[in-house]
Amino acid sequence: MDHDGIELSDEEEEITAQTVLKTLQNAWQNERLAPEILPHQNDMVECMLGQIQHMERNINKLPKTDLRASIHKMELNRIKFIICNYLKTRLDKIEKYCISILNDEKQRLESGTNYLTHSEYKYAQEYLLNMESHLKTTALNQVPGNMQTFDLNKLVIYPNLQSHVFLKANETVTGIVLEDLTGDQDEEIDLEEGSQHILQYKPIADLVKNGKVQLV
Amino acid sequence: MDPYEIEFIGENRIVSIIPNFSHDKIFLICGEFGPFRAGLPMNVPLWLGVMLKQKQKCRIVPPDWMDIEVLENIKEEEKRSRFFTKMPNEHYMVEAKLILGAAAEDIPRASEIKTIIKDIWDIRMSKLRTSMDALMKSGGNYGRLDHLTMMEINSVKPLLPEAMDELHRIKMMARKTMPASLNNSTFSQTGGSQNI
Repeated sequence: MDHDGIELSDEEEEITAQTVLKTLQNAWQNERLAPEILPHQNDMVECMLGQIQHMERNINKLPKTDLRASIHKMELNRIKFIICNYLKTRLDKIEKYCISILNDEKQRLESGTNYLTHSEYKYAQEYLLNMESHLKTTALNQVPGNMQTFDLNKLVIYPNLQSHVFLKANETVTGIVLEDLTGDQDEEIDLEEGSQHILQYKPIADLVKNGKVQLV
Repeated sequence: MDPYEIEFIGENRIVSIIPNFSHDKIFLICGEFGPFRAGLPMNVPLWLGVMLKQKQKCRIVPPDWMDIEVLENIKEEEKRSRFFTKMPNEHYMVEAKLILGAAAEDIPRASEIKTIIKDIWDIRMSKLRTSMDALMKSGGNYGRLDHLTMMEINSVKPLLPEAMDELHRIKMMARKTMPASLNNSTFSQTGGSQNI
């Protein structure tokens, strides 16, 4: 049968490809909506890129006018969009919060819970170096020597973890504490499975990272 | 997120189509679909349905809820209820827009259906504006929004979350400056204001 090549080799792998896609899509959605950078999903990205390559090789074997070719191409383009947009969103955050991400990441690397992939980490470091040397050559070197001190800590931009986000609970989570600023009556709420809420990102940041809630 | 991205997510929903050609099962990354048998209904993702429709290779079967009577009931229920009612479909607006856009001739009484869906959307949006107003006036830092669809939630971004961020910032500033200004007054005053 000529469509054998397009077929995934066995049942098990097929379920995985579908799950990988779903995971990537959720990761993309979360990354787009979370104020801070989230732990990377490099395994999923790599796995899907491999899948795409495999598919593309097979599509090229099909005649151009084959209906299947255009359907598969369309699906691959949709998946590529998700991956590109996901990676770009992460790079945007890395550029914006470069210094604070690098500081946090150094600590996370020690405990082995890094959020950035190796290449993202390298990108962040190079970005910071370039920014520093750019600022020095264009401005600092032109001013009197006693004003040339350069303090990176003054340039740090932090993501606003207090910003409000919409979420949907994937499973029931109880006892989310909402800080009450005007009084001292901190409020405690429960997130029932399937319910939707708007609240501050900070108290639910860990729930986003472990997949108990989905940002919408 | 942009509305087109919400639409993109909504396009993954499954719809029923009747193909006018026959073909073996097709194995996509998002699942396997088919076999295609001319004249027999089958399920495909919405993006594929619309694509086949544009190539004139299928008819789209109207989803169960895309029916005047069902929609009239939903509309009445939405009017009656103080809260948001559960929509028949998490992406009803996206599905309606795409199906009615690409395959209006496959849907009986398409233009009436379009009007009712628009009415339902309007009722829900005005409800949403009222509840946002109430939420902000109560000094809101938290709200529950069950049954709102993604497109509806997206339509109040960035206004609502940013207004809440702003309110939070003001409260933080008030809290920072309050102890200083209250330094020379008595503590009972702060105690009193908490109890209200």
